[in-house]
Amino acid sequence: MAQYVHPEVLVTTEWVAEHAADPGVRIVESNEDRALYIQGHVPGAVEIDWQVDLQDQVRRDYIDRAGFEQLCRKYGISNNTTVVFYGDKNNWWACYAFWVFKLYGHPDCRIMNGGRKRWDLDGRAWSTDRVHPQQTSYVAPEQDASVRALRDEVLKHQKAGRALVDVRSPEEYSGQRLHMPDYPNEGALRGGHIPGAVNVPWVLSVNDDGTFKSAKELEKLYTKDSRLKRRSPTVAYCRIGERSSLTWFVLKYLLGFSNVRNYDGSWMEWGNCVGVPVVKGTEPSGGSEPHGVAEAAGASVPPAPVHA
Amino acid sequence: MTSVETRLNSIISEFADLDGREKLELLLDFANRLPPLSATYLERKAIEDRRVHECQTPVFLWPEVIAGRARLVAEVAPEAPTVKGFVALLAEAIEDQPAAEAEGLPDDILERMGLAEVLGILRTRGLRSIVGHVKRGITRQFNAKI
Repeated sequence: MAQYVHPEVLVTTEWVAEHAADPGVRIVESNEDRALYIQGHVPGAVEIDWQVDLQDQVRRDYIDRAGFEQLCRKYGISNNTTVVFYGDKNNWWACYAFWVFKLYGHPDCRIMNGGRKRWDLDGRAWSTDRVHPQQTSYVAPEQDASVRALRDEVLKHQKAGRALVDVRSPEEYSGQRLHMPDYPNEGALRGGHIPGAVNVPWVLSVNDDGTFKSAKELEKLYTKDSRLKRRSPTVAYCRIGERSSLTWFVLKYLLGFSNVRNYDGSWMEWGNCVGVPVVKGTEPSGGSEPHGVAEAAGASVPPAPVHA
Repeated sequence: MTSVETRLNSIISEFADLDGREKLELLLDFANRLPPLSATYLERKAIEDRRVHECQTPVFLWPEVIAGRARLVAEVAPEAPTVKGFVALLAEAIEDQPAAEAEGLPDDILERMGLAEVLGILRTRGLRSIVGHVKRGITRQFNAKI
């Protein structure tokens, strides 16, 4: 595969610099650290926060359809706006926000390849101006179930022996790491992975400058080394669904997987559920072999995030 | 009221009437005031395990007790200015105050500053764990020196 299957969803920092002020374009920053946007953002960009803006503050779920419509109107996004997401941390949260926008069927979403890091490396200017978008009208459809996997669906998917990809670090996947000694365990009550899930840490999809790896490298990683198949229904998960939204983006748009969903409940839900199957070890079915995919790919995988 | 509480209340009142954006701007001011590590601590950083492993971004903390008085030396990666600002704020609140008072840092500082709503549940929980980390560090040193 010489190039990405949907190359149009990725834009360069150069494209953003040229088009940020276009009336049909809205640039959206989404970060792990909200203060970064205040420190400086792409000129004209608004900030949409994954915790405060995209999640319901009472139920553990996303904002509802009306809430999404209100959010888009407030940030000057119409149904036909090209929305370009970028952020810190290799675009984790940008991909997460992109995914929520797809959950509500927004047609034209893109990612600025490399996010904040690439913008900085390219020596482009940051702005601290307050952005006051003009209110728009926006009508959203109901959630698109084809991008989201809920717990019971994942359970059925697992029982049917279908493809699962766990994008966490090898230590989280094997169940070796759940919480640090001397600290309260704030995540899950059980460590390990969903039986059958292959471990492809998200970090293997990105280069040091935050951009995505080439089509050829991604294809080798996911379809050759990890034996995932483009036409097989696939579910990606991590700890809280953000790292897996990056992998979901890679599989769906860069590699053209026809049926891939993000399990946003991820390990924070699965590792606390009563009666669901869990295995430990480096192998999909549990147990350990000397070499996993991550090691074979020669990657160094960072530790698990906690306040992310 | 102890002197740590007085200092903390004064910091909290600075944040009280600000909107979300202004609160983060003020937190950035704190972040900018956190001094870089001195040569001694840079050396110590290389040999001591001072990284807060719970934080995905590199955060190194030295909660210390010197002659019964507390202080917090810290290094936080620039890509985490919220964490850096909060750590700087804690350092300012306890600097040179009686260790017994620093041990009593409250857990609800972010809520009282109105930052919990700006940051959301998970980030608030992460930062609160830093308060716990600092308090435990001070207690350990305090007990070791009695």
